[in-house]
Amino acid sequence: MPEVSEITGALAPTWCPGCGNFNMQKALAEVLAESGMRFEDYVMVWGIGCHGNGADFYRSQGFHGLHGRALPLATGIALTNPDLKVIVEMGDGDGYGIGGNHFIHSVRRNIDMVAIFHNNQIYGLTTGQASPTSEQFMKTPSTPGGVVEEPVNPVGVAVAQGATFVARGFAGDVEHLKSLYRQALAHEGFALVDVYQPCVTWNKVNTFKWFRDRVYKLEETEGYDPTSRTQAFDVSMSTFHELTCAPDECKIPIGVFYREEDSFTYQDGLPQLDRPMWKHAESPRDISAILEKYE
Amino acid sequence: MPLPPKGSELRVKIGGEAGFGIKAAGQTLARSFVHAGLEVFDLSEYPSLIRGGHNTYTLRISPRPISSHVETVDVLIALNRETVDLHLDELIDGGAVIFDPEATSTEGWLPSRKVRPVPVPLAKFAKEAGGPIMANTVALGATLALVHFPLEHLTEALSAQFAHKAPEIAEQNVAAATAGYAYVSKLAGDFWMKVEPEPDAPKRLLVDGNEAVGMGALAAGIGFYAAYPMTPASSILHFMAAHEREAGVVVKHTEDEIAAMNMVIGAAFTGTRAMCASAGGGFALMVEAFGMAGVSESAVVVGVLTRPGPATGLPTWTEQSDLRYVLHAAQGEFPRVVLAPGDRTDAFELTWKAFNLADQLQTPVIILGDSYLSDNRQSVPYFDLDAVEVDRGNLVAEGDIADHPEAVDEAGRYLRYRLTDYGVSLRALPGVTGAIQLANSYEHDEYGYGSAGEPADMRAAQNDKRMRKLELARTLVPRPALFGAEPAEADVAVLFFGTTKGPVLEAMRWLEPDGVKVAAMQVVTLSPFPADDVSVFLGAAKRTVIIEGNYTGQLQGLVREQCLRDVDETLHRYDGRPFSPEMVYAKLKEVADNA
Repeated sequence: MPEVSEITGALAPTWCPGCGNFNMQKALAEVLAESGMRFEDYVMVWGIGCHGNGADFYRSQGFHGLHGRALPLATGIALTNPDLKVIVEMGDGDGYGIGGNHFIHSVRRNIDMVAIFHNNQIYGLTTGQASPTSEQFMKTPSTPGGVVEEPVNPVGVAVAQGATFVARGFAGDVEHLKSLYRQALAHEGFALVDVYQPCVTWNKVNTFKWFRDRVYKLEETEGYDPTSRTQAFDVSMSTFHELTCAPDECKIPIGVFYREEDSFTYQDGLPQLDRPMWKHAESPRDISAILEKYE
Repeated sequence: MPLPPKGSELRVKIGGEAGFGIKAAGQTLARSFVHAGLEVFDLSEYPSLIRGGHNTYTLRISPRPISSHVETVDVLIALNRETVDLHLDELIDGGAVIFDPEATSTEGWLPSRKVRPVPVPLAKFAKEAGGPIMANTVALGATLALVHFPLEHLTEALSAQFAHKAPEIAEQNVAAATAGYAYVSKLAGDFWMKVEPEPDAPKRLLVDGNEAVGMGALAAGIGFYAAYPMTPASSILHFMAAHEREAGVVVKHTEDEIAAMNMVIGAAFTGTRAMCASAGGGFALMVEAFGMAGVSESAVVVGVLTRPGPATGLPTWTEQSDLRYVLHAAQGEFPRVVLAPGDRTDAFELTWKAFNLADQLQTPVIILGDSYLSDNRQSVPYFDLDAVEVDRGNLVAEGDIADHPEAVDEAGRYLRYRLTDYGVSLRALPGVTGAIQLANSYEHDEYGYGSAGEPADMRAAQNDKRMRKLELARTLVPRPALFGAEPAEADVAVLFFGTTKGPVLEAMRWLEPDGVKVAAMQVVTLSPFPADDVSVFLGAAKRTVIIEGNYTGQLQGLVREQCLRDVDETLHRYDGRPFSPEMVYAKLKEVADNA
C-alpha cells in the first residue's frame, strides 16, 4: 500500500503559500494511505482551477478533465469499471457554476463516487473574480459594485436533490476533514464533501480566521440527527450569511449534514455492470439474435 | 425521364396528419414486401411535432436492386384531403388514389382521366374490426389487393408486430387488413399494376441507418453509449437502450451532450469501447470535450447525424452542411478520422471499423451521417458478421506494466504519452499493476503531467507525436469507393460523399440505357482526406461533377485545398430534402451531353 509521501510524490505543488489546498491534500493523502487501497484501486478526476493543478501534485491514476466537467468524466469511469473507486475534485466556480447542471444530476443519480469540492468562494486561477459561492455584495474585479445575486447553497441543493451523503469540511481542521473523507470513502453512493478552503491571495474576506470564528461541528450539536433530511435542509439554510455579520451572529455548521445507508445507487440499477466493460470488446459480439428481429 | 418502366416497380405514398401512425403502418407494409423477397426503400417526411401537421411515408418496392427513393408515386393513400392537395401531382398517369369518401371530398380533383379513384370506407371497416385507429391497416390491405399481391405477407407481419402486445390487437388488425383487401379485390380487380413475391430471394434485413450504426457498435463490442435526444440521432439511443441488458452495454441518457461526450471519454479511459451521437447542434455542445479526446488520446467514436442548420434549423429534414464543421470542430490541432457512410451497409461496416480505428490511433473517430441515412429504412443484404474484427491497437488491459519495458522509464514508471515514431503510445488501462497515469486535457509530458507540458520543446514534441498518427491513419482508413466505368472511359465522373450515394447509384442505372458512361467516386474517409485517390480520379476524367447537399460546396472546397484542382460542374441542394435520382440523372445527362 502506498505511503503518504508516495501519494503526494509527483511534482512539487505550486499553490500559494498558506493555500487551503495544502491541508486538503494532506488530509486526503493520509486517508488514502490508511485506506488499504492500492494505487491501482482508485482513480482521481479533477476539473480546472487551482484545485485542478493538484492533478500534477498527486501520484495517482487520474484524469485532469475540462473546466466544470469532472463529474460526467468521472461518471463514465464509474459506470464502466466497478473495480475502481472514483474520487472527484472540483472547485466552486468549476463545479457549482459552469458545471452546475452536472452537479444537480450527479447528486440525483447517486452514483457511487466521492466528490470533493474546493470551495474558496472566489475564482483563484483566473485572478479573483466572483464565484457562484461568493457572498452577496462581495466586491471583486468582475463585480466592482458587489455581487448582486445570492450565493449557491451546495449543501442545501444536494440535500433537496436527494443526496445520500452530504458533508461540509473546513480546510483549517485537517483531522475533522479526514474523518469526513473516511466516511465519504466508505459511503456507497454519491458522497459530497464541500470544503471551505480559504483563498489567501484573492479572498480577503472569508479567511481562515473568519471561518475559525464561525464554524461549529454538527456531530457535537445536541439533538442533531444526520439521518433526517428535513433537519439537514434546515441547517443548510442557516449557512447564508453576510459580510457584515458578526461571529456570534452567524455560525457555520461543518460535519455530516445528511447520510442515508443502504441507498439504491446508480450502479445497483445496472445489472449488466458485472465486470469491467472493456471485457465486452475482447472479440466481436455475436449479434445474430438481434439481426433476426430485423429480417 | 427514363424512370424504371411503368409497372416494373411500385411506389406507394401514405399521407395524413401526424399522430395517424403513418410511419408505423408504412414500415409494416415494408416488412411485408421484404418477407416476400422484394427490395424496398422508404422515405418518411414529417414536421417537428407530435400531433397535427402533415406527414408522409413513401415506400418504393422492386424485384431489382434499388438504392434510393424516387419522386413519383403509383398508389397514393390519402388519409385526409390535404394529402390529395399536396401530392396528387406526384402520381403517375393512371395511378390510384385510395381514400375514404367520408374523410376526403372528391371536389376539385375527381373525376380525372389521369387518376384511378379507389374509394374505400376505411373508417367504417376499421371500426368494425375494433377501432378507428386501424384505418391505416385497412388501407394497407386495400393497397395489396390493388396490386394483386397476396395478403398473407401483411397478415403475418401484423401478427408478428402486435404479438407482444395482445393477441386480440393482432387479430383486429388482421381483420382490418382483410376487410380492405376483400373490398378492393372486388372494386378494382382490374388495376394494371401487378406485384409478385420473389420466393427464392435471399434473406434480407430491413434497417434504417441508425439501427445499422447501432448494430455495428454492438458487433464491435461497445460497452458504453451516452446521448441526449436530438433528431435524427435519437433512435440510436433507443436502439442501444433496447439491447443494453441483453448485450451488456451501459447506456446513459445524459443531462446534456456535454455530459455525454465527457462520460464517453471517461468510459474510454477504463478501456471500454464507448460512443456518443447527436445531430450537429448536440455535437456543438460536445466540441470542447471532443478536443479533450484528441489531446488526451482517448479512443472514442462520435456519431454526427446532421440536419439543416444553423441552430435548430429544420429538425426533421436532411442536409450535408456539417462536413467542414466536423473536420474543424474544437480549438487547437489534433488528428481525427471522419468516416461518411453512404447507405445502411456502409453504416454497419464503418461503425465497427470506427472502433478499431479509434483504438489503433488512440484518437476520436467521427461517423458523419444525415437524416436521409438515419430515418429511412432499406432492405439490405444480411450484414456480414463473420467479417467483423476487433483490433484494440497497442492496448494492455491486464497484468503488470513491468512486463512492457518499452513503456516505462528507468525507474519503472509508466509513460502513458511516450514519444514514439508512429505517434501511438502503449495504452495500459487503469488497474494494470504499476500503470499509474494521468490523462490530461492540458498539454502534458510523457507521464501526463500538465505543468511539465509547458516547455516549448515538450509541447512541440507531444504535438508532433499526435499529428504523426495522421500518417498512420492513411494506411488504415477505408479508401474511396469506385462505381461504374473507369474514369478515363467515362463521359462524366461524379464525386460525392455520404448519402448522395443512393441517388447517384440509382441515376447511374437509369443512364445505362441512354448509353451515358458514368464513373463515380464516394469519398468514404473525409479525414485524413484521400487527396491522391481523388486527384487521380478527377485527373483521368473528361468531365467532372461534385454533388453535395449544401450551399457552399464544402467537398468542392476540400478538393481545391487538398488536391489543388477543381471540377467542371456542381450540383447542390439545401432545401432540407435529399437529392432525388431524377435530379442527379438530369445533371449527369446534361454534363455528358455538353462534353
